[in-house]
Amino acid sequence: MSDSKTTHCLPNLPPPDFVDPVIEAYKKDIDRTLIRENLKLTVAQRFEKYKHFRRFARELREAGQKARMRK
Amino acid sequence: MESKFEEILPVLISHGVEFILIGGGAAIAHGSARLTHDVDVVYARNTENLRRLIAALKPFQPYLRGAPAGLPFQWDERTLQGGLNFTLTTSLGDLDLLAEVAGGGSYEKLLPFSDEFEAFGTRCRIVNLETLIQLKRAAGRPKDSEAIGELQAILEERRLQEGET
Repeated sequence: MSDSKTTHCLPNLPPPDFVDPVIEAYKKDIDRTLIRENLKLTVAQRFEKYKHFRRFARELREAGQKARMRK
Repeated sequence: MESKFEEILPVLISHGVEFILIGGGAAIAHGSARLTHDVDVVYARNTENLRRLIAALKPFQPYLRGAPAGLPFQWDERTLQGGLNFTLTTSLGDLDLLAEVAGGGSYEKLLPFSDEFEAFGTRCRIVNLETLIQLKRAAGRPKDSEAIGELQAILEERRLQEGET
């Protein structure tokens, strides 16, 4: 699903699909299954998913801190 | 401190602030799976908009992020007129207010390269994916390499899907 109706980009900069070997090196390890799942969602759903993920990350961080304090 | 998009952006929108979401928040809107810690927006510099920004953020104690406590920082029109880009901490999280971005220029210059989306129960203006990639690259920060790779992968996946439909 595509949300953006615009396909144009800034004329004074290299195009968005400009091939940079450094970026390509990172790109090969990107998990595209995550991207495909996110592209099925609306923008609002993507932010909602992010909110849940952020809460999960915070709980893990706090659990780690508590575990360290107990040692 | 983590930023709450779902709280900061509706505050700006409800006060009529003219802004465009860029950075990690825009990346999430376009399908990124990466975690981000602050909210980056490009804002319009007209006097009315500065007043709206001041009114919107005042209740949330905006302060210069990383600055020592106790500086005579006043969240008022004079302060905003005297600066361009402000990296703030607020009680809603970290917020970067940018008058200009590398390669993208001002709010007015970026406006044609943004779209409105439904989010947070309202309409939110977000830079388009193609331009977001360009801005990330123009920022020239090595730490963005992986993020740019992911955004390009999103663009490729989107084009594949559009080709299929």
